[in-house]
Formats: sequence, structure tokens, C-alpha cells
Amino acid sequence: MAAHQKQVQQLARQLFAMSLADGSLSAERVAGVLEYVEKNPPAQPMAVLLAYRRLVAVEFARGRAVVEHAGPLGQGVLASIESAMARRYGRPIVAVSKDAPGLLAGMRVRVGDDVYESSVANQLAGLSV
Amino acid sequence: MSTVLEQIEQQIARLSSKAVRKNTGVIRTVADGVAKIDGLSDVVYNEMVQFPGGAIGIALNLEQDEVGCVVLGDISKLKEGDEVQTTGKLLSIPVGKGLLGRVVDALGNPVDGKGPIASTETYPVEKIAPGIIVRKSVSQPLFTGIMAIDSMIPIGRGQRELIIGDRGTGKTTIAIDTIINQAKINKVGLASGDKNFRPVYSIYVAIGQKNSNIVRTIGALEAAGALEFTVIVAAPAADNPANQYLAPYSGAAVGEWFMENGMDALIVYDDLSKHAVAYRQISLILKRPSGREAYPGDVFYLHSRLLERAARLDGKGSLTALPIIETLAGDVSAYIPTNVISITDGQIFLETDLFNQGIRPAVSVGLSVSRVGSSAQIKATKQVGGKLKGELAQFRELAAFAQFGSDLDAKTKGQLDRGARIVELFKQPAFSPVPIEQQVVTLWAMQKGYYDDLDIKKVTAAAVSLRDFFSTRKDALLTEIRTKAALDKDLEAKIKTAVDEWKSSFAA
Repeated sequence: MAAHQKQVQQLARQLFAMSLADGSLSAERVAGVLEYVEKNPPAQPMAVLLAYRRLVAVEFARGRAVVEHAGPLGQGVLASIESAMARRYGRPIVAVSKDAPGLLAGMRVRVGDDVYESSVANQLAGLSV
Repeated sequence: MSTVLEQIEQQIARLSSKAVRKNTGVIRTVADGVAKIDGLSDVVYNEMVQFPGGAIGIALNLEQDEVGCVVLGDISKLKEGDEVQTTGKLLSIPVGKGLLGRVVDALGNPVDGKGPIASTETYPVEKIAPGIIVRKSVSQPLFTGIMAIDSMIPIGRGQRELIIGDRGTGKTTIAIDTIINQAKINKVGLASGDKNFRPVYSIYVAIGQKNSNIVRTIGALEAAGALEFTVIVAAPAADNPANQYLAPYSGAAVGEWFMENGMDALIVYDDLSKHAVAYRQISLILKRPSGREAYPGDVFYLHSRLLERAARLDGKGSLTALPIIETLAGDVSAYIPTNVISITDGQIFLETDLFNQGIRPAVSVGLSVSRVGSSAQIKATKQVGGKLKGELAQFRELAAFAQFGSDLDAKTKGQLDRGARIVELFKQPAFSPVPIEQQVVTLWAMQKGYYDDLDIKKVTAAAVSLRDFFSTRKDALLTEIRTKAALDKDLEAKIKTAVDEWKSSFAA
């Protein structure tokens, strides 16, 4: 079982490596990989595709800044977040806005695993501990 | 009222508008106290991670695609998809004198219902052991109060002495006796007002034990007045394996505080066999490769890094370790026993046969050894008990041989008789350690043949009577032996007069 899982992970990583162009994810290459898998299905296609999806999702999240906010957010703010994050991580980042009334006020920016939080909800949560 | 307002203002001031950066991950699976987490790209080995609901975990497996964490606390509320975040901190626990007399869990939280711990300082649970330069050789004795040990297998401050034996052979009793003896010495030393006196504080780490046993141990320490000098770190059998794995390191951190701050401490790990089992469980769940007896490859390092933290530091204090190992059918060549034997500076081996014969403590003189040797003994003990180990070893050999024949020469008979008396003399009930000055008197009387004319079965009673006689009537002489720590002609003459006096009253 463990050996199978290892093989699945290995194949998924190989497919993922093939999906990168100049170190960043390429939609064309992903489409190519999917076509290849469809034509030449591996031993456990479902498991391989799930593992591949996970790797792609992680890489995709690294290039996106999800800006959660309570209340309206100006386009200028989004652009400034985009440039600040691109500077910080040294790679192009696309900012995406997401409404989150639960934050009460302020915002939360998520880039990959990193979360930058400056919201009233978070500060109130800190008070309750 | 103004204090209340200040508190609120302080709280408000803490609410800075600055953004806080967190590195997060998402729980993929939770099983058997271990969580597999996606993300946490910044986590470092052994870092504490925060789970929702207040539970914390430690990152033990950093893999290419996931992080394996042991969860310390209630895992029943954790579910797939929950967010986990790094803390940037290594696991630390409160340390200091505020822990004395308290019972804490592996994370330093009080479990004795006596309120919060009065401690302002914390120490990391995992720490690199002191290096070569800062160490000093072991030369100061640590008296256990058990005559067989103090006279034949002496333990020094900063030493690691293993207590090994089958179940029910009195391993824990030896450790508890030692803790009680430290408390007794501390009380006498502190009352004397001697500025050079260095008390020994004790830490008892219970790993994977039944709660009833821990309660009994606490009761014994409390009854002997030793709890006020003792910290108990409890990770009972009901605790999850992660807590059982961490408890000895937490205890070591508590002991290190005493050592680093110029004090002496004694730590008992009861027991490391269960600790190894808990670590094996965690390792198997984390899918680490298993080796001999299904233990992971780093099970030696598990114990070596723990026991290396016991040391005597130059210009500071010391930490003496008494690890306990339980054997199966006396097999000292099993995996974990041989590992720990090779790490420690000697072992006290307890035999089931001796225990069943009523020889308690059931110390096997032949298999027990202290690598520190007589450098951790006071001169008086060397003077009265220097040859005892050899005599007892000869006795055991002859006793086995003598079973086959009755025609023995006078010399052999004499050796057998003397050996039997020494065995009787070393019999000692549980939780009643004998002060070193009393041990000197008892062994001096043995050396000079004061028990030779007694019936062998009366030797133990005679020794008890002699000690009672000295403690009630010759207190000044006992104090002199304790302070001089060596027997000169004058002191020996005084002991002789006193023992003669006892002998006449005892014979009568």
C-alpha cells in the first residue's frame, strides 16, 4: 500500500514538473499533461490525478493573493497589495478580492501558506484567549 | 479602580493595527494522536504548531508534501480541513522553585489541583546536552540511603546510574528511597545553617504508569516529608503517547534549571522502557521505517540525548539521572536494556530470585556496577566498606559451590558465614533510607566482628538496634562522623566505646 502511494506521488511529481514553463505553471502544459494521462492512463489514474491536482493547487495558490475584506475595497488597494507581495516573494502575484463580512473590519491576505491578518475579528479572538 | 482601567488600556494598546504574518496549513488526516498537514511550508523540526481549539502539536516529520505532527491534547475536536498555524517557538515548559511540591503534566500544566504554578521562567523541552569543556568529573557523592548501594555501588552527583530489573523487584522503591533520603539530608543540612551545604532537589518523571501507582508514589513522598523538595512530572498510561514521549525531556528541562543556576538536582525516569514503547508507537503511526523489535532507527538517540543532559557543570550545579528499565525474565541483553546500559555510567541490577528470597533491596552485587566508583564515596565509607563487594561476590560463588558438598574447610565456612551476615545486614525495608553516618557505624561494627557471635537471622535486628542506639544516645558522635566524613583513630575509639556499650545492652 505504502509502495503504491509512493509511486503515485512520484508520478504526480513528474507530471507536475512537466507542467512548469520557466519555473511557473503553464495552462498549456497542464492541458498537455491531462491529455497525455487520458491517452496513457497510469495504474491508479484517480490517485495520480488527485495528487497532481494537489501539487498544482499549491503552486497556483503561491501565485495568488486572496484578499479577504469586510466592506468595500478600492481597486488601488488591490493593485498595491499585488505589487507589495510581488516584491516580497520575488515572483508575479495576482491579487483576487473576496468578501468576508466575518472579519468585521480590516483584511486578511493569503499567499500560499502565508496569511497576513489585520482584522478586528482576529484581534477579538486574541482577546478571548 | 485605576488598576482595572490600566489593565483595559494595556489590553487596548496590544491591539495594534499592524498586520500579523502567520504560516498556515490544513489538516489532511488525524489518527492516533498524529495529524498529517498540508502546507506549513515554514515550519521547522520540533516546532510547536497551533491547532484550533487550543490544542498544540509538535512537527516531527517534515516531508516533501506534508508535515506529520503529534498532537498534545484532545484530538477529538480536530477534523479534516481545520487550519493549523506555526508558532515560531520550540516547546517550552515552566521551570524554577515554584514547581517544588507540585505535580505537572508533560507540558508543565499543574494536575494536582493546587492552582497555577508560580513560575516566570521557561526552558525548552529539547536542548542540546552540555559539551565537554563545561563539564567536571563526578566526585561528590549522592547518598541513596540504601546501604548496599552507598557502600558498594556509589552514585555521584552528575552521574547516570541505571536501575534495571524485572517487574515487581523494587526498582521504583530504590528511586523513591533516594528521593526521600535527599529530602532528609536537605532538612538536616538547611537546619544546620552551613553555608556550603548544597541541597539536592528531586524530579520524578512517571511515564506510562498507572495513575494509582503515581498516587501511591506521591503519598509515600508526602508521608516522608519529601514532596516539598520534589517535582513530579506525570504522563500516565491514560495520556496519549506524545505526552509520554515528551515527559522525560520536560523533566530534564526542570532539572537543567536547577543545574544551570548552581544547584544540584536528581531526576528519576520511571521508566524508559515505556518511553521507548510510546516513541515506537508514534514512529509507526508517522510511518517511519522500523528496525529491531519494530523500534525506529533513532531509538538509541532518543535515550542518549536525554541522558547526556545529566551532568556536573564546572562552576554550576549538577543533574544526576536515575533511569529505570524493566526487563522481561531478567533478560538484560534485550534491545532497550543494552542501549541504556551502554549510555549510563553503571547499573543497579535487581534480581527476582533475591527478591523472592526476602533479600530486599534485591541488588545483584555481581551484575551491578558504578563506573564512577569510589571517587563518589566519602572516605569513611571506603574505610569500612571497601572490601564488601569482593567479599559478597566470593560468598555468592562459594554458596553456589557449597550446595554440592558438605565437607568444607574452616576458611570456606568462615567466608560463607561472613557473606550470609553481610547479606542480612544489607536487608532494608522500603521507604526507610539510612543516613550515611549510621551506615558507617553499622558497617564498622560488621568489619570489627560485632555481629559474628549472633545468630544470622538476628543480624538485621541487631543492626537496627545499633542504629536506634546511636540516633537516640550518640547524636553528637553521628554529627562528628557526618562532618568529618573520615575515620581517624580518635573517632574510631569513640565509635568502639559506643558500640561496646550497645553490645552489652543488646546482649543483655
